Amino acid sequence: MFIDMHCHSVASDDARATVDQYLKWVTVLRSKGYRVDGIVLTEHRQFNREADYSEISAESGVVVLRGAELDTRHGHFLVYGVNDHLTRRFDFSDVRTDPFELMREARASGAIAIPAHPGRSGIGLCEYIAQGVEFPEVKTVELLNGGSRAGENERAAELVQARGYWGTGGSDAHFVSAVGRCLTRFPDHIRTEAELVQALYRGGFQPVRLEQTAQQPVEAKESR
Amino acid sequence: MAKENVRYFEDVELGEELGPLVKVPTTEAVRQFCSVWDPEVGASRFTDEATARKEGLPHALLPGIMNMSYLITLLTTWAPAGQVRKLDTVFRQPVPHNKSVRLVGIVTDKNVVDGENRVECDVSLQREDGEAMVTGKAVVILPSRESR
Amino acid sequence: MTSPQLEFNRELLGKEFPSGTFHVEKEQILAYCQAVGETSPIYTDDEAARRAGYRSLVAPPGFSNLLVRATGRPNIGLKFSATTMHASQAVESFLPIQASDTLEARTRLKDVYAKTGRTGTMVFIVWETLFTNQEGKTVAAVSSSFVHRPRHPGT
Repeated sequence: MFIDMHCHSVASDDARATVDQYLKWVTVLRSKGYRVDGIVLTEHRQFNREADYSEISAESGVVVLRGAELDTRHGHFLVYGVNDHLTRRFDFSDVRTDPFELMREARASGAIAIPAHPGRSGIGLCEYIAQGVEFPEVKTVELLNGGSRAGENERAAELVQARGYWGTGGSDAHFVSAVGRCLTRFPDHIRTEAELVQALYRGGFQPVRLEQTAQQPVEAKESR
Repeated sequence: MAKENVRYFEDVELGEELGPLVKVPTTEAVRQFCSVWDPEVGASRFTDEATARKEGLPHALLPGIMNMSYLITLLTTWAPAGQVRKLDTVFRQPVPHNKSVRLVGIVTDKNVVDGENRVECDVSLQREDGEAMVTGKAVVILPSRESR
Repeated sequence: MTSPQLEFNRELLGKEFPSGTFHVEKEQILAYCQAVGETSPIYTDDEAARRAGYRSLVAPPGFSNLLVRATGRPNIGLKFSATTMHASQAVESFLPIQASDTLEARTRLKDVYAKTGRTGTMVFIVWETLFTNQEGKTVAAVSSSFVHRPRHPGT
């Protein structure tokens, strides 16, 4: 199953796409032979508990899940399985959130917080590790980020390689046509936020680019 | 306007590409743009390298609204009979003088709202290597074949 | 979503104030078109504009951006020392702006919020300006966001 783990809709200050438009675009990608099975909305510094995407999700055949991207003292963290405990415990708009506490509280409450774009200059996990900060709780990071500049994903890949982390992929889409550019391939079938959290703790997933989801070319079948 | 120049709403498909349109924003062009609002064109981060550096910038840059104007020409070139209803842009990186920029777009949505034929596009102003310095979303109203 | 932690003059939030009167001149429209390579006839040719049903030369949608540059905005007293850059801008055209129109601008402070990025903590200030023509109709809206940062990117 291919899920774009990092998407921003108009609810985020710097994004300009609606969820409907993302789903419409997924159908365009599918018509070109690419595979996108689900997207996760990770709005900046907020979580909308009331948002219900079940109807459009059923209509489009795209799994739509909710998460959040929080600003912390040590970079941005993607949170999956956001729950009442986390929204009460943390002020999501605070840009100085303690990442260690966030990871701990997430795990304890059935959620997971992972570093976003760790190779990003100035704000990625790699920078803090270089400064001597240790993150023993981290087992998974976002490895492939569609909004990265040259060299930033490579830096994340070195980190993942050196530390044996699991890596996810997400487009970090802020505009319609960016959705699905990077995804995560899960061996499991995921329909809910709880299943997504379990899959992330279990491991065994890989980051992929959209091109890697393309169906086998027709010629390959014919040549057999 | 010649009929073959008209882009009709019915003919537009999601995924259709706009451009590329290539421009080279010379220092002279930037000065000319600034002179529209300030005939004197004083030294600023837009017109003067030294002022830009003194302000901590790596180089003199194009005004954000000049980048927007370039993106609007991409839209008016694509649909000369259309109306640009909205352009919403994010300035991601300063755009330097005298280096060619590529203007590109892609149609992401189309719908009829209050009798208007709205087409939405993602647009960007890119460096030659394809990295986007300015990204945006545009809404263009197109004529319909039915209401000709 | 204004950040509760930031210090600035909160009384300004959401309050609209008059921010300028502008007389739209044909020469200015033409100079704008020339500077950016805009060649569409309704923006560059008076006759073509009239044939298309307009009273006079039409100002391209980006023209309102120029007028916003000349509107007055108060100092919001933000306690965050930093450099400033234009972060984003949206221009929306509701009705055509034509040469010899007289426009009234009204501006309001829409939002002030913090986030973090490649250059550390940043504060965004968002303004919105509406333009009304001589017939009292709202012709355009421009929303401008400025980012205050500890340093410029790439320095």
